[in-house]
Amino acid sequence: MLADHAKAMQRVCFGAEPSKADLELLGSRERWLVYRDLVRTRLSNVIGVALARTKSAIGDEAFSRAIDEWLATGSPRTRYLRYVPSELAEFAIPIWQRTEAPWVADLAGYEIAAWEVRHAPRNPTPSAEFAFDSKPVLAAGVKVLRLAYPVQNEPTPNTGYAPDPTILCLYRDKNHRTIPRKLNPLAADLLEAWRAADQTVAESVQQVAAAHHAQITPVFIEKLSTLIADSIQRGILLGGHSPPS
Amino acid sequence: MTRDVAGIGLGLRYDLATELLERRPKSVAWLEIHPENYIDRGGRYQEMLELAREDWPVVTHGLSTCLGSVEPFDASYLKELGGFLKDLEVPWHSEHLCLGGADDRFFHDLLPLPFTEEAAQIASQRLTEVRDAIGVPLALENASYYAPQGPDGLAEADFVVEVLEKADAKLLLDVNNVYVNGRNFGFDPKAYMDRIPMERVVQIHVAGHFVRDDGLRIDTHGEPVPDDVYELLDYTLRKTGPVPVLLERDNNVPPLDELLSEVDDLWKIYRNATGADVAR
Ligand SMILES: [Fe+2]
Repeated sequence: MLADHAKAMQRVCFGAEPSKADLELLGSRERWLVYRDLVRTRLSNVIGVALARTKSAIGDEAFSRAIDEWLATGSPRTRYLRYVPSELAEFAIPIWQRTEAPWVADLAGYEIAAWEVRHAPRNPTPSAEFAFDSKPVLAAGVKVLRLAYPVQNEPTPNTGYAPDPTILCLYRDKNHRTIPRKLNPLAADLLEAWRAADQTVAESVQQVAAAHHAQITPVFIEKLSTLIADSIQRGILLGGHSPPS
Repeated sequence: MTRDVAGIGLGLRYDLATELLERRPKSVAWLEIHPENYIDRGGRYQEMLELAREDWPVVTHGLSTCLGSVEPFDASYLKELGGFLKDLEVPWHSEHLCLGGADDRFFHDLLPLPFTEEAAQIASQRLTEVRDAIGVPLALENASYYAPQGPDGLAEADFVVEVLEKADAKLLLDVNNVYVNGRNFGFDPKAYMDRIPMERVVQIHVAGHFVRDDGLRIDTHGEPVPDDVYELLDYTLRKTGPVPVLLERDNNVPPLDELLSEVDDLWKIYRNATGADVAR
């Protein structure tokens, strides 16, 4: 039965150790081991590109072990090769949190976020200019990342990172690269509110300012204007949705 | 309006896109893309496709909807694919005659189907299912494989023909795959071509492959096209007539000039074998 063949192929390619019974069912042990190698190499390669710094931080052996353990749970659920590293990261980061230096999970989280931003969908098209009384439109894939270690600073120090809580906005620039921009806690909350896009800019500013016990003074408004202008200039903030009339 | 896909085309790949899109060589008549690399994706891929479409007609070649799937396909993906193909105005779309996954998991590689009646039945059903869903003519592509799947290598040709006839389908005939399988399983690639109903062929693939130390040929799309494959292409084109030919190069991508010299060689064979005078 084809269904049995398909499942045997899955176990032979992804299982920790291909079983004799599966190899016999499929025939040609040596050639099916070729397939096992081809399949695993392709997936490992794309994961190694997405998480290159994590791989060199923890070493090839620990990195491969995480991939092997993840593959043994089945195989990718996504049809898109570009999302394969995210599936591995979802599985491996909790393991690395327990087994590796405390900053490694942050590094892997940062790398995978940067990868996802770079490969994010097309940007939405705003229906209006940015305005305080309309809901904001952000570029696709913009992420706010709260890190305990400043892992965006390259190269990775030989001694690892010392704790230094950092908030980053990751966005895709005009050359399609992911850029990290440092944010203060209030700006980060604002950006997250804008990404949710369920309030007008004015509403989100009032709510976030209140949550931070910040008065909306001329100085606050000046800083807010700078944040907005910078976000527009970087292509993080694209415009607004015209309110329904 | 659908633009004509004729003559020699090239696969649009990230590694060669910058040079290709800057120089826009006239000898490349059309481009092929993998839709999975572009669907729901912005950034450089979106830009590449937009720039490419300014000058070239585009054909799509799927990676993830392998026709041997035991389970029916994800209807929402097929809908998305159909919309994408409609926007691109492709004249046809192709998918591989192989196994690409099991239980909603993906191998991200092309695994072989056994040459059985059951597999032919399933593949023809899947083909019809995809064709109906995407609303665009669908061709199946013969795959390369490394582990024996039938009584002999030529049984693959009969298997391909059976699926084609059951589903009344078009064929994307990969000449390099036939050659690689012929060498790996000891049959005459020309005898394979003689069994193929050439009126079903809408597109041809050529590529290079890697020869391992033990002699096993692996379809890497990472080497120049070898002379034997050119010769088999010539033999095939004399039977099909002027069917568009795509040069596949996915790995180990050389400077564009090296690929363009292969494209020139392909034009010579194409014109010689078919007598066609197609220009971009
Ligand atoms: Fe092909």
